[in-house]
Amino acid sequence: MKIVIIGNGIAGNKVAFSLRERDKQSDICILSAEAYPEYDPCSLPYFLGGEVARKDLFRKKSVDYQQHGIELLPSNKAVSIDPDAKKVTTGQGAEIGYDKLVLAHGGDLFFPPIEGIRSEGVFNCKQLSETEKLKAHKGRRAVVIGSGAIGIEVAEALKKMGYEVFIVELLGWILPTLFDETTARRLEAALDGYGIQVFTGEKVLRIQGDPKVTAVLTDRREIPCDTVVVATGVVPGTGLAKTAGIETGRGIKVNKKMETSVPDIYACGDCVETFDACTDETAMFQLKHNAIEQAEIVARNILGENASYLGAYAFARTHFFATHAVTFGKTMRATECLLGKSELIERENGKDYLRVVLLNGRVIGGQAIGRYADAAGLLIGAMWRKDDMDRLRSNWRQLPSSGAVSFWPAISLAQLLDPNNRL
Amino acid sequence: MEIRREQLLIDPEKCTGCGRCLMACAMQHCGSVNPSLARIKILPLPSHEIHVPVICMACEDAPCIKVCPMNARLRQANKTVVTNADVCIGCRACVYICPVGAPAIIPYTCQTMTCDLCEGDPAGLWCVTACDEGALTISKSDRLTSDKTRARARLARLDTKPV
Ligand SMILES: Cc1cc2nc3c(=O)[nH]c(=O)nc-3n(C[C@H](O)[C@H](O)[C@H](O)COP(=O)(O)OP(=O)(O)OC[C@H]3O[C@@H](n4cnc5c(N)ncnc54)[C@H](O)[C@@H]3O)c2cc1C
Ligand code: SF4
Repeated sequence: MKIVIIGNGIAGNKVAFSLRERDKQSDICILSAEAYPEYDPCSLPYFLGGEVARKDLFRKKSVDYQQHGIELLPSNKAVSIDPDAKKVTTGQGAEIGYDKLVLAHGGDLFFPPIEGIRSEGVFNCKQLSETEKLKAHKGRRAVVIGSGAIGIEVAEALKKMGYEVFIVELLGWILPTLFDETTARRLEAALDGYGIQVFTGEKVLRIQGDPKVTAVLTDRREIPCDTVVVATGVVPGTGLAKTAGIETGRGIKVNKKMETSVPDIYACGDCVETFDACTDETAMFQLKHNAIEQAEIVARNILGENASYLGAYAFARTHFFATHAVTFGKTMRATECLLGKSELIERENGKDYLRVVLLNGRVIGGQAIGRYADAAGLLIGAMWRKDDMDRLRSNWRQLPSSGAVSFWPAISLAQLLDPNNRL
Repeated sequence: MEIRREQLLIDPEKCTGCGRCLMACAMQHCGSVNPSLARIKILPLPSHEIHVPVICMACEDAPCIKVCPMNARLRQANKTVVTNADVCIGCRACVYICPVGAPAIIPYTCQTMTCDLCEGDPAGLWCVTACDEGALTISKSDRLTSDKTRARARLARLDTKPV
């Protein structure tokens, strides 16, 4: 059997190496648009900021592929798929036949339609090659467009490199999909304290300067700068799947076995549209842990195991300098349109802040800054299990201490949610 | 099939919170009796008059390995999962995703550290030896770890729905 994997990222590698662990016979081939062995995009901002060496970005070495009998075709971008002839055509014009095909080519950086966005001095941090260009660039004032997790990480890295840094966010607060306004405002204040200025609710109209960037013009001000970083989000890559007539929505559609609508073609990672493990809603969280878990399901199904995906989950942390925050599940804002009784529990202690979102007495999301964040895992566990928090809050004091080895997380959780408890 | 391995078991009913295990742990790993260098945290729960020694359980499907942006959480030969201090950037994702918040923070470097079962030490586990109350014991059985509980919770839910 010949298994062809498109994309040499986190998901593609997980499929290839998991397959190889249990199947020593099949031909496994990875098509890669990039020139390197597998590296981790999550590490890129820390490489940019000089916290880690280039070699530490890599999850694989070239020899790992050879040693596992996995054929890696670097700098070979897949451009079209012919599902009837069962072959993939690459940008180099090569045609590669497959028995099973895996789409693991991730997402594409979203470039908003802003005049000047392709000017000299405009960078992004999506891939290693782009990040290296930014790292080699010598600038002094940078504007980061977009304040998602990546935008914030890049802003911190640039600050560490000695830049004066500004962030422009279109929506009302930073990290808008991950955090509610109250939490985000605190993080914004923290950023400000570290000398990173944030402008929210502002629209970038134009990147000025020809050919080199000289300023970013928003609907409220002009920010002179010599560097711009585009961090406006990643959209699932669907173009390639469309060449094969595969059904797509916002991402490539897959069933619980991670099969696409076309036989023998699977998809996993940032390119798919999947469902939330807790709420069943359509989900495209584009996070590494989801890519890894989906890839494992693909590998098991190719091996004939009949494995079902349990769903994706939202979990992200953000940290800059000495500020640490975490978010999981749904935000309060995302909950507003749901039926049922929603409840917000908030706690604060100086710079530490906790907000837990309950729906009908069950945890469905939460955000925390500082010390409260250390308990995130307990809350995530309660969310998974759909623990009844109303019951817990009324009976936790009566829980016996015998058997505490299994009870203590519940007691600890109840104390965390109890506003009368000093924590 | 379960992987048989050694596991540290805790008994909060026996733990008095004396902190001797912390010192033993710090001594074994850092040569210092500074409890803030221990890979065990003691969580007091006064309402129930118990203390919980919180320790990494080395989940089989450890979520910390998957969320670490630096791929610094590594499974060792003895099945424990430890932090590679060469690359950890101290982002705490592993702390936040951990079902019990086990990873401890090294105060000087802000990196994380977790129990390695005193790997390779012929003297055995220092914390177990240090605990006079028998609150820490070593087991070779395969008791439920929290990640399994979690996986089960996810499965139980799916069982109730047509797939
Ligand atoms: C800067 C940054 C920071 C991040 N931080 C975090 C974080 O802290 N936590 C977290 O959970 N997630 C984070 N993410 C997201 C995480 O990196 C992704 O979810 C994960 O990499 C998805 O894996 P993937 O294999 O689906 O896609 P990718 O890892 O993006 O891999 C896709 C690969 O396919 C290749 N490719 C694309 N098109 C083709 C083609 N036509 N033919 C051949 N090859 C192709 C690409 O070059 C790429 O190598 C971050 C992402 C970025 C960019
Ligand atoms: S704190 Fe270190 S080990 Fe933990 S997730 Fe972050 S980089 Fe990885």
